[in-house]
Amino acid sequence: MKPDLSEYVASRVAILDRVRRILRDTMKLKIEAEAIDPDAPLFGTGLGMDSVDAVELLMQLDSVFGLYLAGSPQDFVKIRTVNTIVDAVMELGDEP
Amino acid sequence: MSLEDEYRAVRHHAALSRMDHVGLLRLVGDDAIEAVDAVCSGDLWVRDGRMLQTLILDDRAQPVADVYVCPDNDACFLMVEGITTEELSECLARHVDPDLDFELEDLGPEHELLSVHGPYAWEVMSRWLTPDIIGLPYLSFYHFDLGVCFRAGKTGEFGYDLMLRNEHASKARSELLELVTSLDGAEVSLEALDLCALENGFFSIRHGSVDGLTPIELQLQWRVSTRKRFPGVAAIEERRARGIRRRLTHFVAADGVKSGDVLRGPDSPLGEVMTAAFSPAVGGVVGTALLDISVAHPGIAELFVRDRDATFPIRTVSSPLVLNRSLLVDPRSETYATREDSLRPPLWQGALP
Repeated sequence: MKPDLSEYVASRVAILDRVRRILRDTMKLKIEAEAIDPDAPLFGTGLGMDSVDAVELLMQLDSVFGLYLAGSPQDFVKIRTVNTIVDAVMELGDEP
Repeated sequence: MSLEDEYRAVRHHAALSRMDHVGLLRLVGDDAIEAVDAVCSGDLWVRDGRMLQTLILDDRAQPVADVYVCPDNDACFLMVEGITTEELSECLARHVDPDLDFELEDLGPEHELLSVHGPYAWEVMSRWLTPDIIGLPYLSFYHFDLGVCFRAGKTGEFGYDLMLRNEHASKARSELLELVTSLDGAEVSLEALDLCALENGFFSIRHGSVDGLTPIELQLQWRVSTRKRFPGVAAIEERRARGIRRRLTHFVAADGVKSGDVLRGPDSPLGEVMTAAFSPAVGGVVGTALLDISVAHPGIAELFVRDRDATFPIRTVSSPLVLNRSLLVDPRSETYATREDSLRPPLWQGALP
């Protein structure tokens, strides 16, 4: 694997692991963090989070990553799955 | 009507579809839920009037059926894709305690299943059935005089499945089609619904082969219980103990990629394309690939398909790929007639490789 690709995957995996742990703690899930699929829906179906969980999740994302989301529909798109959260956190790192 | 026109009806307007591929069943009896619980992979924590998505797995933990479980007082509706009623009956006979009190009824011969999808599907249903339909939560259902209305769908848009008794189905279909057409929508094929499901990352038992794959590779672990025994559980435990080696990942490509293609990385083959289809929103190919776990992440543009004459790059992406209009439409404050669609962001905001 090329060094750039290895570096990208490593930073992505590190954020993925942290987001999974946040979700496991927020939802009080009694499963291994690895059992939370990166593309599993967080709301409605999938992990079945509700609006109360969402508020807690938004606070945690702000506190841990500095990712502030106000709760608009466009913001909601960033927390549809673990992977979309990881995307949003990685975009923060790309900002000048 | 082209597939692209049908797609547009689902994504921007409203669409009617016949769901003949879905098995409609009901288990009745004191132990109906227990019987369903014995064959499904998920924890059936679901109240009366609500719906839960689960799977039926074979002994290798390969999904054979995609199931909605819908408890209804002392009975339980099942909406099943992937296996026939006879196969489900055999599965129950094989895995359920024979002392349990339940009976399986096939509702298919006496009912038709119609579905309405789209960002304005709620408006169609509101006019056809009742304005109260707007308050029906996702994954719940209720009885009305002609049948049962399920708020579900696998397109990422508002979706309603209507189980109607045969004697009412034809008239209902005509009325619904007229309403859908009045919102510039159309009757659409299963192919259009499958394309939308693919873009939104919904599992489909019809999307490519699942041969040798379990919910672990398919990113369906949320449909698998860690508390109970069910068909396929031993294979899942074995797969977990070995560690996750491959994972289904979504991708986009400009063109030249099809199901079955080998995906190559800078040094070696790293996966296989499972499903690929042209997406009007993306303006290119969307699909799923089974990738080596080392590269099974969104945002990777180093993978490609090679044929004799050319190389076709892909870019892995997070699902859902599209910003569904249904997330932006507020049924309480707008209608199809008053919509301001041109002010809304595009369905897809990414870049093709």
